[in-house]
Parts: sequence; structure tokens; C-alpha cells
Amino acid sequence: MTSRRQLLKSAVLGGGAGVVAATALGSLGPEAAFGAAPPQVAPGTPDPGFAEGRIRSIKDNTLLVLGSNWVFHTIRVVDGTSLWKLGPVAFDHVKPGDGLYARGVRMPDGVLAAESVWLNIVNVKGHIKNITDDRLHLDHDDKEILCHRVAGTSVAVYSDAPPSADLSRLRVGQHVQVLGAWRPDTNEVDIATVFSPH
Amino acid sequence: MYGIAALQPYVIGLFLLWAGLVKLLGRRMRAQAGRTALARLVGPARAVTALRLAGVLELAVAAALLLPPALPVEGVAATGLSMGFLAYLTYARRAAPASSCGCLGAHSRPVSTRGFARAGVLLAASVAAIWAGPHPPAPALALAGLAEIAVLLGLSPELDRHWLMPLRRLLVRLRRPLAVTPEQAREIPLEVSLRLLYLSSAYCSTSARLRSDVQEAWDEDGVRFVVYAAHGGTAVFAVPLAGGDPSAVRVALIDEPALT
Amino acid sequence: MARSRSTNPPVDLLGPVQGEVSWFCCGTAWGPCSSTGRGACGTCNSGSLQHAWPNTSDACWAITRPDSCGVSLSRRTCGFQHRTTALCTGVSVVTTIADCGPQTDLFCGERSCCGATCASNRLIDLTPAAYSRIASLSTGLRPCSISVP
Repeated sequence: MTSRRQLLKSAVLGGGAGVVAATALGSLGPEAAFGAAPPQVAPGTPDPGFAEGRIRSIKDNTLLVLGSNWVFHTIRVVDGTSLWKLGPVAFDHVKPGDGLYARGVRMPDGVLAAESVWLNIVNVKGHIKNITDDRLHLDHDDKEILCHRVAGTSVAVYSDAPPSADLSRLRVGQHVQVLGAWRPDTNEVDIATVFSPH
Repeated sequence: MYGIAALQPYVIGLFLLWAGLVKLLGRRMRAQAGRTALARLVGPARAVTALRLAGVLELAVAAALLLPPALPVEGVAATGLSMGFLAYLTYARRAAPASSCGCLGAHSRPVSTRGFARAGVLLAASVAAIWAGPHPPAPALALAGLAEIAVLLGLSPELDRHWLMPLRRLLVRLRRPLAVTPEQAREIPLEVSLRLLYLSSAYCSTSARLRSDVQEAWDEDGVRFVVYAAHGGTAVFAVPLAGGDPSAVRVALIDEPALT
Repeated sequence: MARSRSTNPPVDLLGPVQGEVSWFCCGTAWGPCSSTGRGACGTCNSGSLQHAWPNTSDACWAITRPDSCGVSLSRRTCGFQHRTTALCTGVSVVTTIADCGPQTDLFCGERSCCGATCASNRLIDLTPAAYSRIASLSTGLRPCSISVP
């Protein structure tokens, strides 16, 4: 185990709490949490602290991303950046061609210093047309999306019940929401979470 | 071959009878008329009238086909109707791709390949019907007729919920494609721990300070450690892997940049 | 699945209403969003602070039918502002209506919880830019409070 993990483990098990005392760490309200608060953005307008698009190239820790309205974004991945690709991943999982959403802080030079990057993340709703092998055939806006169950990763959330790796309660014909990772240039998605209303 | 031709007026006639009745008597059809491609073609205000006229035409041709005598002009009329139907589907696909056909049911699904295939089968059957004449009944012909009707019904998305969906549900129940193996059941996906985390007071008291999604997670000694960037440093949660008690979740906010 | 007729008047006129918030993409972007278009208002973009509302028009209401879940919501049209606050974090975002949704009646009675606070029924969908201001995109669905800023 790395020294960082040892430090974190001993911090939470040695001195960690069920609730972090407000007196110990100051106010916990959102105003204090975002002391370096995100700049006010007019509702309905593009958020400068957010970027979306497909990765065109990767140089060192910088991603060049082409957005859907032909805008280029330069996104810098730093030590504190979380990377999601069906779950937390390391930087070497980031590939050209990946779609992404990124939230962070827009620097004066226009670069987005990313706090969170979600690669190929999709959140699609639709009817289950069929279930074969390890796949849900999802009818999303009258187009089929093949949703693959990934052993050890995919879970189903049946309303507010505890999530389960058992997806077999899902029924052909029911409506679901699938949060997952798109396989670039296909109509296929790996399932992270399936939300079922019952 | 003349037997097959003799069969067609009955197959097409029954099909047109169904289509005409649905258009004239279906309450949901009238409610959905405004969302069909026909509404795009003639205007929403005239969609219901146009649907009814189409229904009357279909019933008239159906009556001609089903009632004796069998005349070539009936096949010509059916062919004209089928060609019009194909042209309408093509228009619907091009001009209003998100609209439904409004052909044989009140579903709101756009025109699909199956719809075109069905129209093609009807056109071929209509052309064959031009050569229809009296023919002695034969069991083989009856079977062929049933098969043709089954093909037309199979190509009708409006009927999927009556046979295709139940069939698929039965196959799923028999094959159990998403059943979890004992080995898979022993793994606890990260998302299970995260959903438990979200229920905890530890998460509630710190979530406003979190600045990232999960940076990393690892398991040790029955505990899953989940790390986030937080305002001013790092937040680490300890989530028990066994049991489902949110109150057992612990958190520490480390007020310094995390080591790498 | 809980279904009941709604009560009048629309609950969002009486004060903040609690429900579930999810996110959706729009604006002809990558992946399954490539053919989505710019929403019912013609202005929707995944990178803008916008949302979908279940009662933007009669046609929208006919699709979403929140009254089937016992929730009556007021008619609000394109550009109207709502504030969505994540329950138990208290973080909020103000967005404008850019589309019709979510399909509330297809998820009637579904519940989400944060801490000990739970809310039922999908009442609002945010763009990725907006949702990521109040929760991680990977959460997919969260309980929230909706109010007028």
C-alpha cells in the first residue's frame, strides 16, 4: 500500500468521525465549502467551468477536446482531478476519441483546470425491448442501445432499495434509466447503474 | 400459382378490413391523429378527417375483395392503395421522421423498416390478386394463407405487445440471462458502497465540501476506502463492506494536499 | 408503482417542491446524444445551465403526466427559471427551461434518498453542466428541492 493510502486510512480510522464537527472545521454550509466559490453564471448560458466534447488529442496532462458546437476546449488534468470511466480510473485510461464532460475552474488563459472528468458517461432512459446474454436491448428515442452488464461493476437500483449486482429483476417492456459508459463509435454502453422505478 | 393468386384477395381484404376499422372506430387513433405524418401532410386540423377518409377507402376495397365475384379491377384497386401506402410511408420517413404512421394502431412509434416490409408484402399480394379467380379450396392453400397472414402480423409493430413481448419475457424467464453466478455474488461493486455512503450522516455533513467525484477507492480489512478532493484538501470515507448500516460510515477531512 | 390523481392547485405554486432530479444531454453532442437535437425550445445545450420541465405545454404534459403520480405542476414555458437544490448538501443551481421532460409517469413512486431525507418522483431534468454543479454526474439521480429563485 502506498504511503498516501496509509495516511488516509489512519486519518479516517484513527481520527475519523461519523459526522465531521462543525466546530472543528468551521462552517460546513455550501457558502464555506465554495469559499473559492464558482463564479456566478447567468442561468441559461454556457457554464465556463464546464466542458463537453470528444478528445482529439492528449499531450502530457492536457486534453484537447472538440465540443459539440465546434468549440475547442483545453482541459488540464491535475493531481486532484477525479477521472471516471465506468468507475474511478487512472490517467492512462484516457484515450483520444473518448467523449467527456468536465467540471473545473476556468483559468485566465482559457484552460479548464479539471476537478472532475467523466469519460463517455451517458444517462439514457428507455424501454427494455429484450434481454439476451448479458445485455439489455434498450429502446432510447426509437433507437436501440445495447447495454452490457459488467461483472463486478454493474448494479441495479430498484427505487430506494439498496443497490444490487443482481439485474435479473429487470423485465422486458419496463422503463429504466441506464447510467453507463458509451463504447465510442458504437450504439453500445457498459452499465454502471440501472435505475428501475420498482 | 392461380391458387396463390386466388388467396390474395382474402388476405388483403382481411388486412384492409382491420386497418379501416381501426381508423374509423379507434378512440386512441383519433387522439393520436395530430402526431402522425398525415397531420404533417394535410395539417393537424384535417388529420382526423383524412384518417377517416382513408379508413372508408380501405373498407370499400376490402368489401370488394372479400365479396364475390373476383374481378381483376379489385386487384388493381388494391395495388393502387398499396402503392399509395408505400408512397405515404416514404413521405413520412423523409418529411416527419419522428412522427408515427397512423396506419394500423395508435402507437406513436416512427415508421420503421418493418413497416416498409409490410407495405411491400401488401403490394406484391395486391399485384397477384389481379390474376385471382375462382379456385377450389385446398388445405395447402389455407396453410399458405395463414402463413401469409402471420407474416403480415409479424411485420406489424402495433401487435408486438400481444405476442413478441410475452414471448421475449418467457424466453428471459427460461434462460435467465442476467442471473448472477456465486463467484459474481461475492464481489461488491463500488456503486453499492457509494449508495450506502450517500445515506450516511458522514456524507451529509461533508458533501458540500467535496470538489470532485471519486478519485480512488480500495478495500482493506473489510472496509472500502473512498477518496474525494475536498475544499482545502482531501476527504476519505471508510465504508464497511458487510452490513448495510449507514451510521457505520466514517469520514476524515485532511486539510492538506494529498500525497501522490 | 404509486399512482393517484393530483390535487389542485399546482404544488410548486405553494412553495418549494421535493422530487428527484436526473440529467440528460442535448444539443447534438457525442454518443447517444448525437441525434438528440436542441430540445423542445430549440436552445438546449449540454454545456449550458438549463433544464427540462414536465409542463411546458399541453403536448408536453400529455407525454410526462406528473398528475399520474399525484403531482400537479404549474405551466412554465421556455426560459423560465427554477432553482434546484440538492437535498442534504444544500448546494443549488439556477437554470432556465429548455426542453420538455422528464417522463414522470414512467417512474411513478420511485424514491431517492440522501442521508435520512428522501423524495419521490422525477420532476426535473438538468443538463450535465447544471447537474454537475450540485452532484457528480455518476450519481445519475438525486433527491432535490425545486423552487423559483
